[in-house]
Amino acid sequence: MARGPLSDIRILDLSHVWAGPLCTRILSDLGADVIKIERSYARGLREPVGDPIGGWIGKDPGKEPWNRNAAFVKLARNSRSVCVDLKHKKGREIFLELVGHADVVIENFSASTMSNLNLDYETLVEANPNIIYLSMPGFGKTGPYKDWVAFGPIIEPMSGLTAAMGYSLEEPRNSGVALVDPTSATSAAAAIVTAIRSRKKKVGGSIKIEMSLHEAGVSFNGPWLIDSQLGAPSPVLNNGHPNMCPHGVYPCKGEDEWLALACEDQKDWETLAKIDESLDPSWTIKERQEWADLINLSIAVWCETRTKESAAEELQNMGIAAGPVNTVPDMFKDPQVEERKFFVPFERAETPMPGNPIKMEGIDSSDWTRCPDLGEHNFELLEDWLGYTPDELNQFLEEGVIANRPPS
Amino acid sequence: MDKVLEIGHFSSGFCGRLFAQNGADVVRIKQDPLPSWVTSEAMDLYLHSDKKMVDCQDRDRIRDLASKADLLVFEGTSADSVESWGIDQWDVPLKSIITPFGLTGPKKNWRSSSNVLLAMGGYTNCSGDPDKAPLSIPGHYVEFQAGQFAYIAANAASFAEESATIDVSMLECVMALSQFTTVQWSCADHIRSRHGNDFWWVVPTNMFTCRDGWVFINITPNFWDACVAFLQLPELIIDSRFETNASRMANRDELHHIIQEAIAKVTKEELRSRATECRIPLGVVMTFEEVLEDPHLLARDFWQEPIGKQGLRMPDIPFRFDEIKRNPPSAAQLVDVDEVWNG
Repeated sequence: MARGPLSDIRILDLSHVWAGPLCTRILSDLGADVIKIERSYARGLREPVGDPIGGWIGKDPGKEPWNRNAAFVKLARNSRSVCVDLKHKKGREIFLELVGHADVVIENFSASTMSNLNLDYETLVEANPNIIYLSMPGFGKTGPYKDWVAFGPIIEPMSGLTAAMGYSLEEPRNSGVALVDPTSATSAAAAIVTAIRSRKKKVGGSIKIEMSLHEAGVSFNGPWLIDSQLGAPSPVLNNGHPNMCPHGVYPCKGEDEWLALACEDQKDWETLAKIDESLDPSWTIKERQEWADLINLSIAVWCETRTKESAAEELQNMGIAAGPVNTVPDMFKDPQVEERKFFVPFERAETPMPGNPIKMEGIDSSDWTRCPDLGEHNFELLEDWLGYTPDELNQFLEEGVIANRPPS
Repeated sequence: MDKVLEIGHFSSGFCGRLFAQNGADVVRIKQDPLPSWVTSEAMDLYLHSDKKMVDCQDRDRIRDLASKADLLVFEGTSADSVESWGIDQWDVPLKSIITPFGLTGPKKNWRSSSNVLLAMGGYTNCSGDPDKAPLSIPGHYVEFQAGQFAYIAANAASFAEESATIDVSMLECVMALSQFTTVQWSCADHIRSRHGNDFWWVVPTNMFTCRDGWVFINITPNFWDACVAFLQLPELIIDSRFETNASRMANRDELHHIIQEAIAKVTKEELRSRATECRIPLGVVMTFEEVLEDPHLLARDFWQEPIGKQGLRMPDIPFRFDEIKRNPPSAAQLVDVDEVWNG
């Protein structure tokens, strides 16, 4: 496990897909002892149906494909895995015993799942009066949408962002990255660190945290939502900006190669205008907005003879904010990224994984551990924390209370 | 109560907002505003409510103020701008420093903006249409996420009662939140690129035009049967072109066309109602004005009403403890530097 300031914190992670596991990855990077409580089929069936969305670790499903799904592995470093059937009476009992030894339980099931498992907040508190419980259904546990089926990409349009992002008012676009999920993940991590400090100040006591992907997405759009009530005009679309001009994405030399650029103020403009003598360095922001098409064309003409990297470098040397629109291989070879060793090749097959954007003394990727195999820590953890004997655990394994491989 | 000194713009402001909304005593050093996506009034209300604001540019006095704080949240436009403040010499137990590219590295002094960081961090290449320019995500997502990481780090260090200098790079925040984009390259040799509103790998997951707007559906394989019921096209269930996700991917254009035809004349309300009945994931594209009237958010008492701004709806931060709503926020209060943290 990783070292870090949260090394005294034990988290039982029942979450799945993206937002929840990303939250616990952030916390495990800071040293938290994250125990993934997994169902036997959580990583898919024993025989895979097709290739997973992010491929296989090492480009090979191997003999245990469920342990090599790259999109899953990416989110599960520095954690341990206990695979226990919560629908089994003994499995539920084991889980509640684990709760008794934990600080935090996090889940992102649908609103009714924990109640249906008879594992609601009150039950968790009975098992541990100092537990912090974070639930994160798509729409929360109350309100008219609480039972709606939700994934990040359907919530994004409901946050207002999609209508503000397209090429025109008639062409709304979702982000390509399911933006509500990472927003919810970091918000959940923020909630948990707030709660553990609050509990420490209070000297104990349980805390119930209820979140929703929906509200995390809406909350990030707060400035727009306030502005729209203050009479602000409709959002500027198509890579424009209401208070910067030029501001956009421009084609460069090569196929599908692009540069992002932002002209923050008048001084920037006076410098940038030098790229084309038809541009007047004295134009104010209002005038530049009026002449935006001409300015954008001038920049595009300037860019078309330059690679995105050389254009960015040249503009940066002039003092202008500009950067290449990077693909993943571009990011991997960016000298800034390389020097700060952001991508860490620690998983099986030396697969580079995104690092931790929090750099501080006492945190280092050199002690990271790979994504655990399904149920890898069943024996270790249930012996250490709960005192079960190997014989008892083997019997649980036989009875399907715990598992270390998916069903066929 | 934590005493937090905040210097900077959108990132430090967001970090300070989280502290202020969670009960800390946050003092912000007033700054000239940078170009924002919204008016200063809206941004100040959102970021700086419940903070104290000090109008002081004397760095020695600010340094003295920092010596009374538990935490400094400092956002610099570059590593050199941080260095120019001499913060490494400041006597404050915790320093959470946010910069566009981090405090080290060959680009540590590059100029940046949100759209530049989204581009360099791999987000922009994934958004927009394949035959058009990539789309940059508007707004302050990058800055707010960096502020959120700074908040997480500062609280973690405080919990452990550690002194620390925390280096948060905005670019690295974007790259850390990269979905499956990076492994799709390193594990499947595929460079993720733009597909408009089509999520591509899970079909149908796309936006469709309906009678009075747009809806987005996200049909993972286990929702396909329900989707067929939602579309009121039962014949699709036995159509071999659409039997599996792989076959739906192979015949995506035909399927998208069929879905578009099926819902073009149906209203958003009717589609939403059908989606609820059939239990499929569907979201309606909403404007900010519509979000403000969303009955679910109203029923959950999500909005805060700032003191003195009757009727104004401001989003709460998205987590509450024990279902307790926070007190109404009040606009930042300008105070004299000498009045802060005395005694």
